[in-house]
Amino acid sequence: MTANAPALPPFWSLVEAHGDELLAHARRVAGPEHAEDVLQDAFLRALRAYPRLRHAEHLRAWLYRVTTTAAIDAHRSRPRERPVAEPPEVGVTDDVALDGGFEALIAPLPEAAREPLRLRFVEDLDYDHIAGRLGCSPQAARQRVSTAVRTLRERHAA
Amino acid sequence: MSPLPDSLLEAVASAAVREGLADAVFTRLSTPLGRLLVVQGPEGIARIGFEEEPEDALLAGVAAELGPRVIASDRELAGARDALSAYLEGDEDTLELPVDLRFVHAPFRRIVLETLHDTVARGEVVTYGRLAERSGNPKAFRAAATACARNPVPLVVPCHRVVPSSGGIGNYGGGAARKRVLLELEGAL
Repeated sequence: MTANAPALPPFWSLVEAHGDELLAHARRVAGPEHAEDVLQDAFLRALRAYPRLRHAEHLRAWLYRVTTTAAIDAHRSRPRERPVAEPPEVGVTDDVALDGGFEALIAPLPEAAREPLRLRFVEDLDYDHIAGRLGCSPQAARQRVSTAVRTLRERHAA
Repeated sequence: MSPLPDSLLEAVASAAVREGLADAVFTRLSTPLGRLLVVQGPEGIARIGFEEEPEDALLAGVAAELGPRVIASDRELAGARDALSAYLEGDEDTLELPVDLRFVHAPFRRIVLETLHDTVARGEVVTYGRLAERSGNPKAFRAAATACARNPVPLVVPCHRVVPSSGGIGNYGGGAARKRVLLELEGAL
């Protein structure tokens, strides 16, 4: 390790601290029958990337994103299945559904709200990149994502 | 929230080891000496901690020394687990495991531990002075004692077999009571 590398915690301490909630997250985004495979893949992806992380912050959120991405890739690589019967639960922004389910989930929103959500949660872009795609400032991009998430949450709570 | 199934964790660990993604692999083992934390590095057992040693700090040290991709697996360390259990339960006379001394940075201390590992067999004891002499520096008995006190791999590198010339069994990183148990087990007392 180089002198300026961040002091990353032992990887397994993250697995032991957050594994349960990540499995629950994988169930929500990938469905119960695929959750364990998705999480296994996510842990291996995370291990491959782990030594290259440039900071040791937000590791839990990072693992959620890796799990979401693994679920999306697993979904894309599977032969087309029947549509998800029930839309996934939605609660916090971590609970991101897959493309099919995701589109159904955001369908009630206007396109101006749907696009920022897709860029953030399906394409997993950061706010600088979302801003580039939307042609606005990063602050405005953050605001649009956050407003759309709030609207979505209120709709599903109603 | 349901806990992660062991099968999932073991599958991750096996795949990680196969792909060369693990900097270190550890396992927790119940023994007559209490719970041990056993860590394998690239070349062999690199660290063994007794249960009093806080696990977080031990594993953080492993991450700093060997790299952060520290994973747990009972299956990947099955050989070491079996060897340690058999030895501590008295079913096997010898404990032969590859050892990785990269936690030991000081060159002389490393030589002391290698010498101890290679030359002091079960049932024998040596004094710190004799160990220093065998390691090539008869005057360095204090350094030899320090090497033993900071031995990162107790049991595998048998620092319990090193005793003071003044008599008695002396100190032990894992406590004098454990040293006595080990020496009795080995028939040295």
